[in-house]
Amino acid sequence: MNIFSFLLPFVSILPAVLGATSKSDTFEKYQALSRFGPIDLDDSSYDELTSKPRDYHVAVILTAADPRFGCILCREFQPEWELIAKSWNKGPRSDDTKLLFGTLDFTDGRNTFQKLMLQTAPVLLLFPPTVGPSARVDDGPLRYDFSGPISADQLYTWITRHLPEGPKPPLVRPLNYMRIVSFVTIMMAVVTLFTVLSPYVLPVIQNRNLWAAVSLIAILLFTSGHMFNHIRKVPYVVGDGKGGISYFAGGFQNQFGMESQVVAAIYAVLSFATIALAMKVPRTADKKAQQVAVVIWGTVLLGMYSFLLSVFKAKNAGYPFFLPPF
Amino acid sequence: MADSPVDALLKGSSGRTTRGMLRIIILAIIAAAAVSSRLFSVIRFESIIHEFDPWFNFRATKYLVQHGFHSFWDWFDDRTWHPLGRVTGGTLYPGLMVTSGVIYHILRFLTIPVDIRNICVLLAPAFSGLTAFAMYLLTCEMTVSPSAGLLAAAFMGITPGYISRSVAGSYDNEAIAIFLLVFTFYLWIKAVKNGSIMWGALTALFYGYMVSAWGGYVFITNLIPLHVFVLLCMGRYSPRLYISYTTWYALGTLASMQIPFVGFLPIRNSDHMSALGIFGLIQLVAFAEFVRGFIPGKQFQRLLTTMIILVAAVAFLGLVVLSASGVIAPWSGRFYSLWDTGYAKIHIPIIASVSEHQPTAWPAFFFDLNFLIWLFPAGVYMCFRELHDEHVFVIIYSVLASYFAGVMVRLMLTLTPIVCVAAAVALSTIIDTYVLTTPGPLPRAKSSAESSSDGLRSTRGAVVGITSYVSKAMITVSVAIYLLLFVAHCTWVTSNAYSSPSVVLASRLPDGSQFIIDDYREAYYWLRQNTPENAKIMSWWDYGYQIGGMADRPTLVDNNTWNNTHIATVGKAMSSREEVSYPILRQHDVDYVLVVFGGLLGYSGDDINKFLWMVRIAEGIWPDEVKERDYFTARGEYRVDDEAAPAMRNSLMYKMSYHNYHNLFQPGQAMDRVRGSRLPAEGPQLSTLEEAYTSENWIIRIYKVKDLDNLGRSHNNAVAFDRGQKRKRATKRKGPRVLRTE
Repeated sequence: MNIFSFLLPFVSILPAVLGATSKSDTFEKYQALSRFGPIDLDDSSYDELTSKPRDYHVAVILTAADPRFGCILCREFQPEWELIAKSWNKGPRSDDTKLLFGTLDFTDGRNTFQKLMLQTAPVLLLFPPTVGPSARVDDGPLRYDFSGPISADQLYTWITRHLPEGPKPPLVRPLNYMRIVSFVTIMMAVVTLFTVLSPYVLPVIQNRNLWAAVSLIAILLFTSGHMFNHIRKVPYVVGDGKGGISYFAGGFQNQFGMESQVVAAIYAVLSFATIALAMKVPRTADKKAQQVAVVIWGTVLLGMYSFLLSVFKAKNAGYPFFLPPF
Repeated sequence: MADSPVDALLKGSSGRTTRGMLRIIILAIIAAAAVSSRLFSVIRFESIIHEFDPWFNFRATKYLVQHGFHSFWDWFDDRTWHPLGRVTGGTLYPGLMVTSGVIYHILRFLTIPVDIRNICVLLAPAFSGLTAFAMYLLTCEMTVSPSAGLLAAAFMGITPGYISRSVAGSYDNEAIAIFLLVFTFYLWIKAVKNGSIMWGALTALFYGYMVSAWGGYVFITNLIPLHVFVLLCMGRYSPRLYISYTTWYALGTLASMQIPFVGFLPIRNSDHMSALGIFGLIQLVAFAEFVRGFIPGKQFQRLLTTMIILVAAVAFLGLVVLSASGVIAPWSGRFYSLWDTGYAKIHIPIIASVSEHQPTAWPAFFFDLNFLIWLFPAGVYMCFRELHDEHVFVIIYSVLASYFAGVMVRLMLTLTPIVCVAAAVALSTIIDTYVLTTPGPLPRAKSSAESSSDGLRSTRGAVVGITSYVSKAMITVSVAIYLLLFVAHCTWVTSNAYSSPSVVLASRLPDGSQFIIDDYREAYYWLRQNTPENAKIMSWWDYGYQIGGMADRPTLVDNNTWNNTHIATVGKAMSSREEVSYPILRQHDVDYVLVVFGGLLGYSGDDINKFLWMVRIAEGIWPDEVKERDYFTARGEYRVDDEAAPAMRNSLMYKMSYHNYHNLFQPGQAMDRVRGSRLPAEGPQLSTLEEAYTSENWIIRIYKVKDLDNLGRSHNNAVAFDRGQKRKRATKRKGPRVLRTE
C-alpha cells in the first residue's frame, strides 16, 4: 500500500509533462465556447472534454430536458444551472482554478448515458483535474444525485466545496427587471385607480359584509386543512383502484385536496345554518314561514353534522359516536 | 362599567344576588369538571411526570426548591450537553418553575407537607380551572348574553385542544401559559374599553408573567399591535386606545426584558418590531389628532399628506440601514418558518423534525374541537353584527390563529381559546332565542338592529322572536343533543388520546386485561443504580431530558436543541460505521449509548423510525461523510431487511438496534414488528460496543463503550480473536477492506 502511494505522484506527472501543451488548448477552446452559460455537449465533445489527462475541472450535468421524457426536475433545474455557469464565467476568479460547465442532453448523448449506465436524470458529474497542483489520486468523477428540487445555491456550495482553495465568484442572481418594472407599474396603477375611483371603491372596502365574507372564507380554508395541502402537496383526488374516485384518504394524518374542500363546504353549510337560525329566523314576521324555516334549517344542521361525523368515523376507525341518518 | 361580570357577582338586588350565586356555583362546577377530566392518567397509571420536556422542568423545579432562587437564576448545568454544559438559568423561561416553587413554599408555610412532584403533576389541571374562569371573564366582555360566558368557560374546560397540553403530569410551559394568554387578553380588552392606565398596567404585568412562562408570548406581542393597527385603519383612534396601548407597550417591554433569556430581544428582534412600529405610529396619529384642533381643514390635509410621506420614507430608510448594518436581527428561524412554510425543511431540519411542527390535517381540528369548529365561523360572523373594538380583536385573532394552527399542529393551542369564545357567542345567541319561553322581541337585540344601518345583511329587520313552541322544542332538543355529544367526545378523546404519560405505555392483552409496559423507567433506573455518578450517556436528543431527570446521568444532547452541531455529532456517530463512530464516542467521553428499539413490541416511536432525521441533521454539517441517499436502497426504499442499503446495515444505530435480536427467534424467522419486515438470518456484529442492558420488552437497549484494547489491537481483531478465528481469515471474511489511517 505504502509503496503504491509513494509511486503515484511520479505516475501522474508523466502524462502531465507530455500533454501539457495540448491540454491547455482544450481548455481555451471550450472556454471560448462558453462565454455565457454552460456548453452544450454531445457524445464526442463530452469525450474530448473529459478525456485524461486534463488540468481543469469539468462539471457536466446529464439531463433530459426534452418534454418527451417528462423529466420535470430537469426542466426546472435548467435555468438554475445556467445561472451557476453564468455566475462563474462572468465573476471574478483566480486563474488557478479552471472550471468548465457543460450540459449533455439525452437527445445528443445517448451513448454516454448508456456508457455510464444512468437510469435517472438529472445527474451532475464533477471531474477533478488529473494533472496540475489540484489533481487527485482518485480521478473518477464526483457524482451529485438530485433527490428533489434544489436551488442553485445548494448545488453551487457543493461544487465549490470540491474545488481547491482560492477565491470563487459568488452566485449572482440577475435582477429581475421585468418583475420590478411590472411591480412598480401595478402599484402606480393601483394608487391611481384608488384615487380616481375612491368614491366608488371606499363604500366597498368599508362594507362590513365583504369583510365578514373574507374572514369567514379564510377561517374555513385554514380549519379545513388547506395549509396541509399546500405544504405537503397532496394529490387532489386519487383513484380507488376500481376505476372510480376515492374522495377521502384513509388514515387520520392524511387528506386529499378535494376532501378538504368537501369538509370546508360541510363546515360552511353548518355555520350558515347556525347563522340563519340565530339571526334570520327570529326576524321573520310570518309565523308559518318561520316555522318552515326552523324545520328546514334544523334538519340541514342535523343531516350535515351527522354526515360529518360519519366521514370522521371513516377516517378514525375507533371513533364510537354517530348521529342517526348516516 | 357597573355591569362588569365581577361586579355582577357581588352587587345588586336579591334577584341578581341569586343569579350571581348560581354563576359562582356553576363556575366552580366547571372548574371541578376541568380538573377532574385531566386526572385520567393519574388514576390509570400513577402520579408521574409525562413525556420529555416536563422532565427537564421537573428537574429545574427540584433544583429551584433545593438551592433557592438566586442560585437557580445563575445555574450552570454541567450535566447536560457534555462537554459544553448549559447556562440553564439564562436559557429557560422560569415562570413555570417559579410558580410551582411559590406554591410549594406557601403550602409549607401553611404546614401542609406536599411533595414537590405532586405539585408539578397537578399544576396543569389546577391552572385549567383558572383558565375556565379567565375565559368566562373574556367572553363576558364580548357579548351581553348572560349564557355566553358560562358556555365559553365550559367549552374551554373540557375541549381536547387544550386538554392535550394540560393533563395531570404534563408539566410544561403551556400548563400555565394558556391561562396567562387568556387573562392577558381579557385585561387588554378591559383596558381598551375603559382607556384606563390601571388596566393597561395590569395587562403589562400579566404580559410580563407570560413572557417569563412561554416562548409563545410573541403571539401576544404581535396580536395586540395588530389589533391597534386595524383599529387605526378603521378610523377608530381614541384616547382610550392611546392610553391603553402606550401603557402596555412601555411597561410590558420593560417587564419582558427582565427575563435573561429574552434580554434585549424586544428592541432588536424582528418578531417584536411590529409592536415598536405601532408604538411610533400611534404617537404620530395622536399628534395629528392634536394638531387637527388648531389648524383649519384644508391646511391640515396638506400637512397630513406631507407628514405621512416624510415619515414613511424615513422609517423605510431607517429599517433598511439598521437591518443592513446588523443592529436588527434578521428573521429569526422559528417565527419565520410560519410564514414561509418551505423554509424550515430546507434550512432548519431540527425544527422540521419535531412532530408537533407538522401541518395540521382537518381530522385533527375536528378531533380537538368537535362541534365548536363549525360554530366558530358562525360566532365570528356574529362579531360583525356590532363590531365594537373588542369584536375586531376576536376577528383578527380568529383569522390569524386559524392560519397558525393550520401550519403547525402545536399552535392548535392558541386557536382553542378564541374558538371557545366565538362558539359560545354563536351558541348563546341560539339558546337565548329559542329557550326563552315568552314570545316577543328580545329587548337588547332590537335596539342594536335598529341603530345599525350599514350592518350585516342578516340583521336587517326587527326582531320578532320565535313564535311557535314546536320550533323552540326542536332546536332546544337538538342543541342539547349536540352538547351531550360534545361532552362525550371530549371525554372519549381525553381518555384515549391524551392521557398516556408516554413514559409508561399501556396495551391490552388478548383477554382484555391491561398490560403496563414500563421499560423506560426500568432502564433509566438501571442506569441510576449500576453506572458511576458521572457516566456519560449518549442517546438521540429526544431522551436527553428523561435521562437527566430519571437516571440523573450527564447526557450529550437533550431536548433543548440549542447547539445544532453537537446534535449533528451525535447523529453522525449513530449513522456512521463503527470505525468512524468509535473515535467520536471516545472524544466525547461517552461511557454508555442508549437506543430505543420497538421492533419486538411494535412500538413505532423508536430510533430506527427517527433515524432518517439523524442522518439529515448530520448531513447538514458533514455533507461529504453522511449522505441521506446512501441509506435508501437503489429503488429509493427505506428498508431494514436483507435488501437494506449497506450504509444502513453498517450504521451504529442499525447494529445496536438489532444486536442479538435474531437469537430470540427460530433461525431465519426474526421479525421486526414495526417495519413489518423479516430480518437477515445473521445478526449484525458489534465490535467496539458491548451490550450492557436490555429492558424487559427490548424497548431500551444500553451499550457500554469498550475501552481501548489492552494489547493494542483494533477492536475488530480482538473480537475476531475471541471468537477463535485466525487473523487472516477474519480480515478476509469482513468484506471490503478498510483503509486504516493511524
